[in-house]
Amino acid sequence: MNRSSGLRNKLIYMAIIVGMLLPLYLLGQPATGKPGERAGQLAQMRSELNLAEANLGEIDPASESMKLASLGLRGVAATLLWNKADEYKVLHEWDRLSATLNQIANLQPHYEKVWEHQAHNLAYNVSLEFDDYRQRYAWVKKGMGFLTEGVHKNRTAPRLIWYTGWFYGHKLGMSDEKTQFRELFRKDDPFHKELLDEGIAVDGPDARGADGRPDNWLVGRLWLNRGYDLVDGGVKLVDKSPITFFEIGPKWRIQYATAIEEEGILDDRSKDAWERAADDWIGYGKRPISTTDMFSVQLSGVGDLHVRKAELIARFDALVGDTAEKMRQEQLAGLSPLERQAIDTPEKDRTPDQFKLAQQANLKLESNAVVVAKRAPQAVQLKAIQLAAEISDVDNRISKTNIYRDQMNYGYWELRCEAEQDDLVIDARRLLYDAKQLYKQSDLDGEIEKYDAAFTAWAAVFERYPGLILDVASDDLSDAIDRYRIATDLAELPEDFPLKSFYEMRMSGETDPGSVASEATSGAGTGDGPNFNILKPYSGADDKLLPAIAPAQPVLKKPDSTEEEPAATETPAAPSEGTDPAANPEPVVEGEQPAVEGEQPAVEGEQPAVEGEQPVVEGEQPVVEGEQPVVEGEQPVVEGEQPVVED
Amino acid sequence: MTLQPDDFWSFSQWLLRPGAFLESALLQGVAIFVLLVVVGIMIGYVVSAVRYGPGEAFYAVAATIRDLVTRDLPGTAFRRVFALARLAFKEAIRRRVLFVVGLFLVGLLLAGWYLDTSSDDPARLYISFVLTATNYLILLLALFISCFSLPSDIKSRTIYTIVTKPVRATEIILGRVLGFTAVCTMLLIPMGLASYLFVTRGLQHSHEVVKADTENGELIVGETSYDRSHSHAFTIDAEGNGLTDFARGHQHIVRKVGDSFEVGAPIGDLRARIPDYGDVVFLNRDGLEDAAIDVGYEHTKGGYGNAGMSRFFGKTLGARRIEHGYIEGGTLCAAVMRFDEISPAKYGDGLPLEMKLRVFRTYKADIVTPIRGTITVRNPENPAIESEPISFLTKEYQVDERRIPIEIKGSDGTQTRTLNLFDDLVGEDGSVEIVIRCLDRGQYLGLTRSDVYLRPSESSFEWNFTKAYISIWLQMLMVISFGVMFSTILSGPVSMIATFMLVLLGFSAEAVYETRYYLDRGEAMGGGPIESLIRTVRQDSFTVELDIQELPLKIIKVIDNVAVYSLDAIVTSLPNLPKMLGTAEYVASGFDIFNVLLLRHAVATFGYVLLAFIVGYFFLKTREIAA
Repeated sequence: MNRSSGLRNKLIYMAIIVGMLLPLYLLGQPATGKPGERAGQLAQMRSELNLAEANLGEIDPASESMKLASLGLRGVAATLLWNKADEYKVLHEWDRLSATLNQIANLQPHYEKVWEHQAHNLAYNVSLEFDDYRQRYAWVKKGMGFLTEGVHKNRTAPRLIWYTGWFYGHKLGMSDEKTQFRELFRKDDPFHKELLDEGIAVDGPDARGADGRPDNWLVGRLWLNRGYDLVDGGVKLVDKSPITFFEIGPKWRIQYATAIEEEGILDDRSKDAWERAADDWIGYGKRPISTTDMFSVQLSGVGDLHVRKAELIARFDALVGDTAEKMRQEQLAGLSPLERQAIDTPEKDRTPDQFKLAQQANLKLESNAVVVAKRAPQAVQLKAIQLAAEISDVDNRISKTNIYRDQMNYGYWELRCEAEQDDLVIDARRLLYDAKQLYKQSDLDGEIEKYDAAFTAWAAVFERYPGLILDVASDDLSDAIDRYRIATDLAELPEDFPLKSFYEMRMSGETDPGSVASEATSGAGTGDGPNFNILKPYSGADDKLLPAIAPAQPVLKKPDSTEEEPAATETPAAPSEGTDPAANPEPVVEGEQPAVEGEQPAVEGEQPAVEGEQPVVEGEQPVVEGEQPVVEGEQPVVEGEQPVVED
Repeated sequence: MTLQPDDFWSFSQWLLRPGAFLESALLQGVAIFVLLVVVGIMIGYVVSAVRYGPGEAFYAVAATIRDLVTRDLPGTAFRRVFALARLAFKEAIRRRVLFVVGLFLVGLLLAGWYLDTSSDDPARLYISFVLTATNYLILLLALFISCFSLPSDIKSRTIYTIVTKPVRATEIILGRVLGFTAVCTMLLIPMGLASYLFVTRGLQHSHEVVKADTENGELIVGETSYDRSHSHAFTIDAEGNGLTDFARGHQHIVRKVGDSFEVGAPIGDLRARIPDYGDVVFLNRDGLEDAAIDVGYEHTKGGYGNAGMSRFFGKTLGARRIEHGYIEGGTLCAAVMRFDEISPAKYGDGLPLEMKLRVFRTYKADIVTPIRGTITVRNPENPAIESEPISFLTKEYQVDERRIPIEIKGSDGTQTRTLNLFDDLVGEDGSVEIVIRCLDRGQYLGLTRSDVYLRPSESSFEWNFTKAYISIWLQMLMVISFGVMFSTILSGPVSMIATFMLVLLGFSAEAVYETRYYLDRGEAMGGGPIESLIRTVRQDSFTVELDIQELPLKIIKVIDNVAVYSLDAIVTSLPNLPKMLGTAEYVASGFDIFNVLLLRHAVATFGYVLLAFIVGYFFLKTREIAA
């Protein structure tokens, strides 16, 4: 090869390269802004699909330079770093793990699952490796900070915002260390400042808790609301069911109310918290939730649907006249003599065979509205078919709504929000709380006295709100009764014990309150003591049972619009700066508090280690969400869409 | 920092491995030397034989060896080597290698983007970053400048202007190596200074006092402002002098001057502890000597590389890695550390004991209170003489610094009295035992031999930092030598790839050892390179049996075995680069790099340099012969 042929080859290569770059340039050239000029096809698509870096999230120079430096091999680099991160985790090199995760996130900033997975890893798995709860808290914050960074870099990712809100509530408020975490969060002024900079109004009434400081549940709710605003603003919700997506915000208000009650705040503040929780929950019920069918449902709209169905049926009946009755007579005539005899026999007198035959016959006698409409007179047939179709549609909606309601346990939470605002329930909870405090002070007589009053009050509560019997929170009540038995040295509960039926139901593992209630009405609890019947509709509190407690009307506000935030009511006055809420966790409630309560420490560790034998189950558990309501307690809550980080 | 078994070896133990000579560095060095020289001669013979026939080739090779021994080696003159080194130096400078320093400085300037300032131990992160970045960059530079020089001279025939002069092949090679080493050293010094400034300036900060209350009328307790993602609590005594608590690996001196407070610079974050390690023995629940309880997965992360030549005989040993051993609380479980050379001259103020323990809780217990443990000092010759247990609350992942006083209450076996550390507790041979127990039933404390140590003295951070750079310098020298060695026979790009492969294999040695280990044991862990490639493409897990016909499978396995065993032999012959890189970890963790470790690295480096020099000589001679 001589010099001229070498030059020629180089020129040819150059020409080929330019030739290949030209179409790429034409396809990708941005719009110049001049009228009549269009951007290249790739640039147009990037704009239409919002794939431009500036549309996806904040542009981070560190991330961009890392992506460039990896020369298109960022997938490989991220995989290597992922393995490295795993190795650091095994070797307990936490700082390096965190640094490596930042590098992975810089390389793949728009890979939402990475943010979710590794934020979970930091907040749930790494944090629990530390013995010092303050370090655990720091690592939970690190996980939440990681997720927040993900939110910055993915502004159209409501899932990430949702997870951020989830972490604030679930991890800080439901861990074994929830008492300490909540307290640390309340006092974490630098973190509050960061949140303020982030645009989360932690200084507002919607974030401040009973002591006037930001509460993790309420701050979590503000994050969730940000995600809701995003979706309401038109951003598509991907890989997340709307029914669970929108549930958690209102649920965090419920959790907040539950949490402050557990911490001994059982006064107007808890009542106010439940009122707000009820507002949110009803707002959730009124929110149109898209379904897998072609329509949306409102969880609280099932009553309206039934009314609508009744109206349609009335119109349909009026329209078709006696067609349905004629059809029924024809179908009756078509029944076999035995079937006829079976349905003519009163239900209670039927033999087992007749029972089956009657079932078959009734199925034959059922007339579908559409079938009836087709047999209607010619003049009204078309209209009747339209109405029949509408009835079928409403049926579908009712069915779907009921499925969703059951899935979210909507009715239960609605009832709970209503009941918890009742002074009767608040007082019952306070009596129980007082009894536990007296136990910690080793005041046996005082404890028993409070327990007696508490159980009587709880019996009244169950009479008024039978649905609460199955409340998971009433597990505490069973425990309290166990404790009461030990305190009073009772081998068996007396016949007149106010919660005898309840306790027996709990001890037997019975899940159907009806059966126990039947026993209760038929035999048990026939002594002098009060009893309750969960099947009996509420007919007013038994004043005899409640010498000191005035029955209160539940307050359940029903806002006009689901889109509106509940009005921010005045939050109880915050303690002065630097006041330690733990030093005086007890609310001062009109003379009912024992004088010693102000000295009770609220910090778990300073109390007798009654919880000591619990195994540590939190942390590495996969977090699963979903069908079962998220309830307070130490058990991990499971969520289907959470990546399984650790086995 | 968890030290591994070979970290504790003394120089003679490393060199000779008494009782396990097959693992000795000396044997490995000699074997590699002999093997490579033989291979070098054989290659020279083959090349020569192709040209001149087998008979002439024999004489040519013999003449080369004779030249080396009788003429070239004795006749090598430092003056000519120096002149050639100057040439290489100038040539490298002409190639604008100084830009590398600029690149490094730009990297440092941008480092703030990637380093987590809210890290629990920023010093560790900063030091690791600068040392690792310098290491990789300087190795890359060494690779580039050493591989292209000779081939380009040979290609452009400028080499003839040198070889026609009375210059020996040994001088050409040595001159190049020294020249390039000088260039890289010249770059390494400013990089080291810049790194030092980056670390010290990066960690420099102060706080304001935001809260101060008087306690008991004398002490002042307060809190500093929240800066750099942390704040400190502090206590000031009646004289106005105080100290903050430890946060993010440092503390500050606080002084009260008049009505105001002065918060000093951070202290304690840049240290170079010189530890004295003891031997550890674990006791089981019955108080008998036993293996410690394992609650982690550390054994899954390597630890094969310290077996030396023994890996070529029989089946390979498993991973010899020190894992955290755990002791159960509320039982007779204990970790007994035995320390030697305890004397009043060395420990006149008592025993400065430092511990970095891990905690494993099997139930949550009291969340607020850390797991409790005790330290007991006892006489190894008469364990009945022991101090009263000194209780402590575990500070997990932090260094808990304590001082065991010389006068300590305890039992002499018959009565309780005040014991003297040196008179009662230290044995005749100057040793003492420290027993660590966990108090909380059902909870565990974890440690390794390197987690509990005495700290009789401390070195300066600056000298320790310099030692880390010496370690980098040694690696650089090794890469330059290999680069020059390959460049004597291969073209520039090929010798660069060859050197790069050596470095890469050196860093990947553990992965190769592990693959071989599983092949030896017949355990299905994904197989060799071909099998794992097939599994990757087919997305087959390593637990799934490979669905391939018997004959092809057999062929694949044979090829894999050959590949893995060959690679194993090659990486065993290569310098242990990860270990050398690991010296950065000492500095980052605040430990003085053991002098013996540095000496080992230096000896190994000069061994490999000598090897590369001899092989390079033969290669160069082969070219002359072939020409």
